[in-house]
Amino acid sequence: MSEPEGRGAAWTEERRRSDEGRQHLKGAQEASGGTLSTWHDLVTASLIGTERAVVPAVAIPGLPPAEDDTGDPAAVLLDRAALLTAARRAGRRPDRAEPLPVCDPDPRPAVSPAAADRLARILGGEYPELLTEWLTELVARDLRLPPQFLPVLLDGASRGRSKDSAFPHLVAEAGGSRARWLMELNPNWESVLPETLTGDEAWRLGTTSQRRAYLAALRSRDPGAARELIAGSWAAAGPEERVMFVKVMARGLGPADEPLLETALHDGTAWVRAMAADVLAALPESALSRQMTERAVQWLRIRHDKHGPYLAVVAPDDARLLIQAVGLTPLRTWTDAFGLTAAQIVALRSGDWAAVLFTAWVRAAIAQRDGEWTAALIGQALVARLPAAAIQTLGQLVRQADPALGAPDTLPEPGPDTPSAVGAALRVLRFRYEMLKELDGDHDG
Amino acid sequence: VGERWDRARVLALAPDASSLKAARPLVSGRSWPVTGATDGSADGSALWGECQGSAAAPYRTAVDLSGPAYRCSCPSLKFPCKHALALMLLWSDGGVQANGDAPGWASTWLATRAAKASETKDPKPPADPAAAQRRAEQREARVATGLTELDRWLCDQVRQGLAASQRSGYRHWDDIAARMVDAQASGLAERLRALAAVPYSGAGWDGRLLEEYALLRLLATACRDQAALPPPLRDTVRSRVGFTVRQADVLAGAAPVRDHWHVLARRDLDQDRIRTRRAWLRGRRTGRTALVLSFAAIGESLDGSLAVGTETDAELAFYPAAVPLRALVATRHDTVPSGPPSGATITELLAEYAAALGQDPWLEVWPAVLDVTPARAPVPGLHDAAGDAVPLHPGAGDCWPLFALSGGHPLTVAGEWTPRGLWPLTAWDEGGMVVPL
Repeated sequence: MSEPEGRGAAWTEERRRSDEGRQHLKGAQEASGGTLSTWHDLVTASLIGTERAVVPAVAIPGLPPAEDDTGDPAAVLLDRAALLTAARRAGRRPDRAEPLPVCDPDPRPAVSPAAADRLARILGGEYPELLTEWLTELVARDLRLPPQFLPVLLDGASRGRSKDSAFPHLVAEAGGSRARWLMELNPNWESVLPETLTGDEAWRLGTTSQRRAYLAALRSRDPGAARELIAGSWAAAGPEERVMFVKVMARGLGPADEPLLETALHDGTAWVRAMAADVLAALPESALSRQMTERAVQWLRIRHDKHGPYLAVVAPDDARLLIQAVGLTPLRTWTDAFGLTAAQIVALRSGDWAAVLFTAWVRAAIAQRDGEWTAALIGQALVARLPAAAIQTLGQLVRQADPALGAPDTLPEPGPDTPSAVGAALRVLRFRYEMLKELDGDHDG
Repeated sequence: VGERWDRARVLALAPDASSLKAARPLVSGRSWPVTGATDGSADGSALWGECQGSAAAPYRTAVDLSGPAYRCSCPSLKFPCKHALALMLLWSDGGVQANGDAPGWASTWLATRAAKASETKDPKPPADPAAAQRRAEQREARVATGLTELDRWLCDQVRQGLAASQRSGYRHWDDIAARMVDAQASGLAERLRALAAVPYSGAGWDGRLLEEYALLRLLATACRDQAALPPPLRDTVRSRVGFTVRQADVLAGAAPVRDHWHVLARRDLDQDRIRTRRAWLRGRRTGRTALVLSFAAIGESLDGSLAVGTETDAELAFYPAAVPLRALVATRHDTVPSGPPSGATITELLAEYAAALGQDPWLEVWPAVLDVTPARAPVPGLHDAAGDAVPLHPGAGDCWPLFALSGGHPLTVAGEWTPRGLWPLTAWDEGGMVVPL
């Protein structure tokens, strides 16, 4: 973008140098007494053409003056230009440059080369959706971002290409002092972090991401105060901000949060209601959770036939109701009620309901961040022949699951018959596991 | 098997991102019921495997790591195909065991390759020396006619004035370039074809065009009078005109130079359906700089064996020239990672380049390793501790990663010095880590 400007400056620079050359040659001219010219005069003559222009003479300081050539003027001009080209290139003097301000030091330790390579792979298009997680984990470990990646990250953050409104804040935080230094050099990046607002100014005057950061910090410090702030701001907030409020409440969740989340459960926007339901389900004592659990345990029973135990589903015809109820029921309910492990439950026969139940449990495992169920569900997907729609839900599960599940020998290896979507899901887990292992690995100060 | 390659070295061989994506699901022992690798030195290693794909019969894939070269029974037009990439990635992860004997289908191909390789190293003498001599004389005559024609064309341009060139379009240079191809002066043709871009290269284009025309006439004149030149300069002139030296003759020429060659920088250029990779090397013991070129058709992968930031114990055979830079890797031994090289000052770089120009006035790309701090004003550039500065090449763009890496502090930068400025290619961060730019 600054290219034309750069060229302009380069051109001025060239002129300046050529003028210096002219001064220099003039001195030599006086010394030798011959007719001298400069590169610039040669270029002018060549532009006009030797049919109409006279070929300027050339002398190089320190070399004997060229003899007067009597041949073809065009050839004479080219020969003189060749001499001067070599002389100008070889005689080039260094320029001067304005030093840049020095960036404040970043005391955070550097990441390992392997972690830097991993970031390059993510930015190169391999699992780009894991970029936010990589950066978040970097910040959580108080490590320094390899600075060569900052330009591409700042580009992404400033053009607002990321749907995640918290992304610019994350980039600025990961980039630390080096990111601020670059923002000052390149006006295109100024918008990434408009200004640093402190304290409740961030809340009153800040952008969505600044308000979110303020609220999240308050929530981790004093969950009650954050709740009160949200309650007071709820009526004036738009749907996007209400979703953000509910997301912030998911951390540090307690029984006292229930009334506010119940309000959200009756919000006019479906998006807000869905988010509130997910958060409430993680609160085992909540009314919603109890209500859904009551329903779900009525609908799912263990029965026995000659082949052993199976799951009998006595549910309304609408599969969506079953998915909702089971999806919002605390997963512990099932292990407690059936006296079986998660792996044993997901492996139970359930006839035509298998895909519906799988989807519902995946939803519950995502909302409740349950590692045991996540492992059981992935294990089940490896051996059972589930319809593609049910397997698709694994994609989200493996992006939110505990990455430790990606460690070697934790989950069964995919076999030749494994559906490719399951294999792909497992590779995501492996990738996330390795990504975090590298960030935890040795780093040099 | 010799030293296993790291993942990055394999990834660098992928012809495009989609091949890599297609290869990834196959990087698992389950996809490869049969795999193996030869024992032996790094030079002679090979991998093979059978990949269970969608087809009934498995695909048979073999990789000759000394090339590297690939063979696969799949119908893909990509080189390497996803199977070859996956096999190498599996090997890189330690998933391929050495087990000596290749199955018949792989060993036949590997044996053919080995035979061909020794053939190029040990060429047969031409069948009919008299006919070869005649062909060589015909070529000299054709080039001489071409040189006269080029000289006349250049003088015509200057007689009529270069101002017209800005309006003349690509045809103007393509026509004369085509005539140089007919005259078997491919080096001149290439230089002429590149000139079509000069009128669009921004302010100062007229000066740059005059420089190019002047140096072309100098080259034509020098080639015409080559008998009067000292032999190394004559080699330079002939190679710039387009006379190629056979690899066998390079290897048979001056004694190869053994050293630990540090790969400082690499630059890939696409032109005329050919991809060229320039790898710049510096010998630890001799301090010599070398340029190793490799070529591939568009869509094929370039030689990935000289990875930036590594040091290879190798013997290099230099092409004969006034300033011997271009070299062939004659024998390769071990490759190990390496730290940052020591950088020069800007005055030292300019003096070095001036000295080289004294030997070869057509030299337009010169390897630079500098200890410098990036600067943005008056133009993006680099300055050293003494305050001397050079601009970055305008074509290299803003080079923000270089600025980000520096943070206003000095670092070691390797790149190509040209009359228009420095084209930065590699930098080393404060921890000594190599960062390709």
